[in-house]
Amino acid sequence: MPLIPPFQMDQVFIEPWSTSGLLTWNLQIILMSILICWTCGLVGSFIVVRRMALMGDAISHGILPGLAFAFIISGSLGLGGMFIGACLAGLACNFCIEWLHSHTKIREDAAMGLVFTSFFALGVTLISSHAENIDLDPSCILYGEIGLVPLAEKIKIGGTSLGNRAIWTMAAVFISTAMGIILFYRQLLVSSFDSTLAASIGIPVKGVHIGLMLALALTTVASLEAVGVILVVAMFVFPPVTASFFFRRLPLVLLSTLPLGILYSIGGFHLAHWLDCSIAGAIAVVATILFIPACLLGPNGGVRQRLRQKM
Amino acid sequence: MKPPLYPIEIHDLTVSYQRKPVLYGVDIEIEEGSLVGVIGPNGAGKSTLIKAIMNMVRPNGGFVKIFGKSPKAGTKHIGYVPQRESVDWDFPVTVMDVVLMGRYGHLGWLGRLSKADRRMAHECLEKVDMLPYANRQIGNLSGGQQQRVFLARALAQESSIYLMDEPFSGVDAVTEKAIVSILKSMQQDGKTLVIVHHDLATAKEYFDHLLLLNMRKIAYGPIQQVFTEELLQTTYGGRLTVFSEMASQAAKQPEIEKQKSLPL
Amino acid sequence: MLFPRLWPTLILLLFLLCLWLPSLDARQVEMLKDQNFWDQATRFFLLQDISVQIVVLGSTLIGISCGLIGSYVVTRKLSLFGDTLSHAVLPGIAVGFLWAGSKDNLALLIGATGAGFLGVSSLTFLQKYTRVRQDSALGIVLSGFYAVGICLLTRIQKMEFGNQAGLDSFLFGQASALSVEDLWGIGGALLVISLFILVAYKKLLITGFDLSFSRSIGIPADGLQYALWLLLAFCVITSLQIVGVILASALLIIPAVTASLLVKRMNAYLLVSAFLGACAGLGGSFLSFLGKGLPTGPLIVLVSSGIFISVLCLRPRTGIATQWFFSRKNSLRIQRENTLKAIYQVLEKNNFENQTIPTQALMTKRGIDRIECEFEIQQLVQAELATKGSPDHSPALPGQSILSLTPRGWEYACKIVRNHRLWELYLTNEANYAPDHVHEDAEKIEHVLGEDTIRQLERILSNPKKDPHGKLIPSLTDMELGGVPKT
Repeated sequence: MPLIPPFQMDQVFIEPWSTSGLLTWNLQIILMSILICWTCGLVGSFIVVRRMALMGDAISHGILPGLAFAFIISGSLGLGGMFIGACLAGLACNFCIEWLHSHTKIREDAAMGLVFTSFFALGVTLISSHAENIDLDPSCILYGEIGLVPLAEKIKIGGTSLGNRAIWTMAAVFISTAMGIILFYRQLLVSSFDSTLAASIGIPVKGVHIGLMLALALTTVASLEAVGVILVVAMFVFPPVTASFFFRRLPLVLLSTLPLGILYSIGGFHLAHWLDCSIAGAIAVVATILFIPACLLGPNGGVRQRLRQKM
Repeated sequence: MKPPLYPIEIHDLTVSYQRKPVLYGVDIEIEEGSLVGVIGPNGAGKSTLIKAIMNMVRPNGGFVKIFGKSPKAGTKHIGYVPQRESVDWDFPVTVMDVVLMGRYGHLGWLGRLSKADRRMAHECLEKVDMLPYANRQIGNLSGGQQQRVFLARALAQESSIYLMDEPFSGVDAVTEKAIVSILKSMQQDGKTLVIVHHDLATAKEYFDHLLLLNMRKIAYGPIQQVFTEELLQTTYGGRLTVFSEMASQAAKQPEIEKQKSLPL
Repeated sequence: MLFPRLWPTLILLLFLLCLWLPSLDARQVEMLKDQNFWDQATRFFLLQDISVQIVVLGSTLIGISCGLIGSYVVTRKLSLFGDTLSHAVLPGIAVGFLWAGSKDNLALLIGATGAGFLGVSSLTFLQKYTRVRQDSALGIVLSGFYAVGICLLTRIQKMEFGNQAGLDSFLFGQASALSVEDLWGIGGALLVISLFILVAYKKLLITGFDLSFSRSIGIPADGLQYALWLLLAFCVITSLQIVGVILASALLIIPAVTASLLVKRMNAYLLVSAFLGACAGLGGSFLSFLGKGLPTGPLIVLVSSGIFISVLCLRPRTGIATQWFFSRKNSLRIQRENTLKAIYQVLEKNNFENQTIPTQALMTKRGIDRIECEFEIQQLVQAELATKGSPDHSPALPGQSILSLTPRGWEYACKIVRNHRLWELYLTNEANYAPDHVHEDAEKIEHVLGEDTIRQLERILSNPKKDPHGKLIPSLTDMELGGVPKT
C-alpha cells in the first residue's frame, strides 16, 4: 500500500456527498470544523496581536490537569465541569507564569516552558493513573478525533431532537465569543495596543486579560475532543497571521477568519478523505499550505513586496 | 477656603526595582500651567517618575496625587506620550485609528464615536501636520512622524496634564521645532506639561520650570533659579555615595517601610 | 574554567559506561509481583533487572544531556525555541520510519534532524523576510510541522506495517520499550555534547554574553549557533523515546532554570543543571517502576518540577521559606530598636533625672495599646536589654510597672538614637533635604547604618554634637557609661 493513495476526483470530492447518510455525517464534521476554526480564529486574532501566541500554546496545554480533576471529581464528561476545571487550571497556569516572572529573575519564556510542561505532565499522569474512571484516550488529547463528532449525543428539548450536542455546544461558544468581541471591541483594542492609555481611561486591563484567557480556555475545551490541544494552537495562530499579509486593520483581520475557516475546513476534510489520515491534522496542514503564498505574495508585508521595496 | 489642588503632587516617593532604589524620597509640587523639563543622567529615575505618576509602577513608599486624587483615579486627566521604544509598531492600526483612541476616554462603555470626535481627530492630525498619512499603518512611518502621531492622540484627549517621555529622541530638527511650538501653545491654553528631556543645551529655552533628578530630587523650580552650574554639577557629577548606599540598604529590607513612624 | 580536570574525567567515565553496554543482555527479565514499597525500592536501586538497568541508565543519561544543553538553551532565551523544535521533528520521524520500513533508530535520527533543520530554516526565514513576530513564527512552525507529522503518522497507522506501537510511544515516551541500541544512541549523543562543550566552552561563553563583540574578534558565532542547534536536535531526538515529543522541552528547561536559581557561574551552572537532570531522570524512572505502567516522560517532568519548587522555597538567601523566616526576624529586630529608642526619648525628656519610666509613658510615646506594649517589653526583657519592675517594690499592678534599661540596652538605645540624629544632620547639611522630611527618612535608615558608615558620617560632618533639632547626639563616652548619666 503506497503512502499516497492515487488521486481520483470522484473518489475524493464526490463520494463523501453521494448518499444522504454520508451527507449528513460529513456535513456535521465540516460544520463542527468550521465553527472551531471561526472561534479559534477570533480569539486567536487577539492572542497574536498581543504577542501572546506562545502563551496561548501554554494555556491550551496547561488546562489538562484541570480537565483531569474535573473527570475524577465529577466522574463524567460533562462540559460544565470540564469548563470550570479548565478555566481554573488555565488561570492557575497564567498566574504561576506571571508570579515566577515578577518575583524571580527567571525570564518569561523559561517560566512559560517550565509551568506549562509541568501542568501538562501532571495532567497526563492523572489521566493515565485513573484510566478506569476517565474515558479519555491520551492520543485523543493530542490530535483529537473529529471524525467521531457525528456520534455525539443528541440534545432533546421537549421531546424533539435538536441535533448533535457537540455541534450545538460549539455553536454556543462561537456565538458568545463573537458577541463578546463585538460588545467589548474597543476595550480589547485599546488594552491590546496601549495598556497605559487603557488604564487611564478606565478600561480594566487585568480584567480584559483574564477574560481573554478564559475565552482561550473555553475554546480549547470545546474543541478538545475534535482537534486536540496542539492543533488548536494552529487554529489560533494561522488565520490572523495569514490575514495580516492582506489587511492593515484589525477589523478586517477578524472578518477574514470567516472565509479562511471555511477554506480550511473544506480543504482539510477532503485532504484527509483522500489520504485517509487525521482530519484535524489535515485542516492544520491546509492552513499551513494557504499560509505559504500569503507570506510570499501578500500585499501587506509579504516577502515579494519587501524585496521589491529594498530595490 | 480650600487651597487650590496641584495638578501633580508627589510626596516622599520611593520606587525600587528588584530591591534597588531608583527613586528615593522625591518631593514635588507642580503648579498649573507649568512647562516642566525633567533632567538627569541615565538611570536617574526620570522615566520611573513618569511611570509612577501614570500608575504604571507601584511606589514602595510615599505617594502621588493628581488633582488631589490617587493615580488610579487621576490618570484620566493626563495625556501620556510614551517612549517610542515601548510602542508596538506592527499592530494593525492606522494613524487615524490611533488618534481616535484618544477620544475613547470621552465615551461611555458602549458609546460610539460621533462626527464631532472624528472632526476633532482631523484637527489634531492637522495641527501636527500628519493628515496626509491618516490611512497609513503606523509601522510605515519615520521616527518623527511616529512621534507626531502620538502627540496628536494626546491632543485629542483634551487632558489638563500632559506627560511626555523623551519626545525628541530620534526626531529630526524640523519636527523638534514643530513639537516645541505645539507644546508652548498648549501651555498658553493653560495645560500643565511635564517632559523628560535628555539635552541640557536646549532645556533652557524649551521649559520654564526644571526638575533636576538623580535618584532623589536635587532641585525643582523656575529655570532661572535651578539652571545653575552648582546644581547641575550635583545632578550629573556622581551621586552622594553614602546616600545611595544607605538607600540601597533600606530598599533591601522591605520590613522597614512597614513600621510606624515615631513622632518627633 | 573551573575544575579543569573534572571534565575529561567525566568523559572518560561516560566512555567506560558505554563499554559496559554490550555486557547487558537484551533478555527481558520477568517482573515478579512485588509486594511492598521497600522491596520494590531495593530491587530498583540494586539494579537487579536488566530492564531496570536499561531504563535507569537511559533516563539518567538523558537527564544529563538535557541538563547540559538546557543550560545554553535557557541562558540564550531559546526555551520556547526548544519546544518548537521538539514538535517540529515529528514529520521527520514519520519520514524516517517510512524510508526504513521499520523503527530503525538511525533512519529516525536522520529524518528528525532533517525536519529540525527545515524547521530552523523556516523560522529564520520568517524572521528575516517578514514582519511576523517571533512568538507567532514559533507558533506557526510548531503547529504546522506538527500537523504534517500527525497526518503522516495517522496515515502510517492505516498502512500495512504501520501499526507498530513504536510510533505512538513517541508522543508521550515509553521508557520500558527502550532497547540497548537506543542506549547507544543516547550515550553517543551525550558524548558528542560533552565533547563539544568541553572544546568550545570559552567561545560559547563569549558568544552567549556579547554576540557582536565575539564576531568582531573573529569567533564564528553563527557556526557555533548552528552547532548548538544541531546538538539540541540530537538531544531532543534521543530523549523522545523516554519523554515524548510534547514534554521533551521540559527536561531542557526545568533543570537548567532550577540551577539558575542556585548558581551564577557558567561552569557550576552546567554541572548543577546536569546533576539535577540526572536526578529527575532517575527519580522519574523510579516512580514509573513503582507505578505499574504510568508513562515515564510525565513522571520525570514532575520530579524535576518538584525539585524546582523545593529549591524555590528553600534556597539559601532568596527562597520563599527562608525569606519569610528572615523577614520575621528582621521585623522583630526593628521593633525592638524602635522600643529602645522610645525609652531613651522618654528618659531624655526628663533630662535623664530618673532611671526608670512607667510603662504608661512608653505606651503613649509609641502610640500603641497595652497588649502590643507588653509584647514589646517582653521582647526586650528576653533579650536582656531592659528590666521590668514595680514602683516601690510593691506587687506589680498591670499598667503600673516600671521599666529600666540594662547597660547593654542603654548602649543599644544610644546607638540607634545616634544613628537617627547623625543621619538627619547628614541629610540636612549634605543632601539638601527638606527639613520636614528628614525625620521620616531617618526613621528608616537608623536601622541599617553600619559602624563604618557611622565613622564616615562623623568624618564628613566633623564629629558633630547636636542634630538639626538641637538635640544631643550620643557619643561613644555616653554609651560606655552603661546607664543614664548621673548629672
